[in-house]
Amino acid sequence: MPELPELNPVIHGKLRLALLSLLIGVEEAEFTWLRTKTGSTDGNLGAQLLKLEEAGYVAVEKKFVQRKPQTLYRMTEAGRLALTEYVQALKQLLGAAIGA
Amino acid sequence: MTANSEEQDLKDRLSLIENMIAEGRRSTESYAWTFILWGVAYYVAIAWSTWGFGWAIWANNYVAWPVTMMSAFLLTWFLAIRKRIGKTGKQPATTAGRAIASIWIAMGISMFILLYSLGVSGKGDQQVFVAVIAAMLGTSNAASSMLLKWKQQFACALVWWAAAVASCFGTVEQSTIALVVAIFFCQIVFGIYGMVCEARLRKQRGGSHA
Repeated sequence: MPELPELNPVIHGKLRLALLSLLIGVEEAEFTWLRTKTGSTDGNLGAQLLKLEEAGYVAVEKKFVQRKPQTLYRMTEAGRLALTEYVQALKQLLGAAIGA
Repeated sequence: MTANSEEQDLKDRLSLIENMIAEGRRSTESYAWTFILWGVAYYVAIAWSTWGFGWAIWANNYVAWPVTMMSAFLLTWFLAIRKRIGKTGKQPATTAGRAIASIWIAMGISMFILLYSLGVSGKGDQQVFVAVIAAMLGTSNAASSMLLKWKQQFACALVWWAAAVASCFGTVEQSTIALVVAIFFCQIVFGIYGMVCEARLRKQRGGSHA
């Protein structure tokens, strides 16, 4: 019997999973847009994005636009690969659960 | 955790991924209004170049199309920026959105340069103008429809191409009728249909928060 895959704990958190799924469809996104789409608080969102940044799954760019600070998040290649692998593992686990 | 609840948790996560990917891509969906805006702009340009507006330079046929098209371009640009910076912060760009915008901008510039040059040099008659406009709009609609996998927009491309052919073989009057009819169906009717589809999607959206 083939061994069942383990789910990546960095991505497994619901908010982090939602963030990566949002970022995979866009080129880059502002903090405020991510907050609206996830319905999260500033503190929680910042903490989860920091975890994704530390794992190398998202890249951050901070700049000023018309004297207002703007934080942009972009998914990295490592993040894209990790999410793809996570989805594959998820499907494999679901297949095993249905087959059991 | 029981096997059933674990399975449900995995399914929930998969559904969360699908919902969020769809949510991220939704920023490319609101552009049907541009079809109506440009449809009205074409009608204004046709009316202006046919009858003039009676006063001095404004009655000149050569300024009707460039002035109307430039005004429509500036208005589209202004409204698109306003729509992009909505209440929820700046809408992020998607690859599909950038590809579609590139097709239409490149087509607009090509059409502007070519038609203005033909007009000033006197080498193009009305039938050539209509054929160029219709063929270029057919190309852009076809490219967009293939990108978006939107059959209704490809039908618009077919109408534009038919208008281009009709303009080459018909009389001046028939070519004008072909242009006016194509604008009505492919800009006004299709624009309204697109806005109805967008409104339906917005209604379906609901809260898909994490």
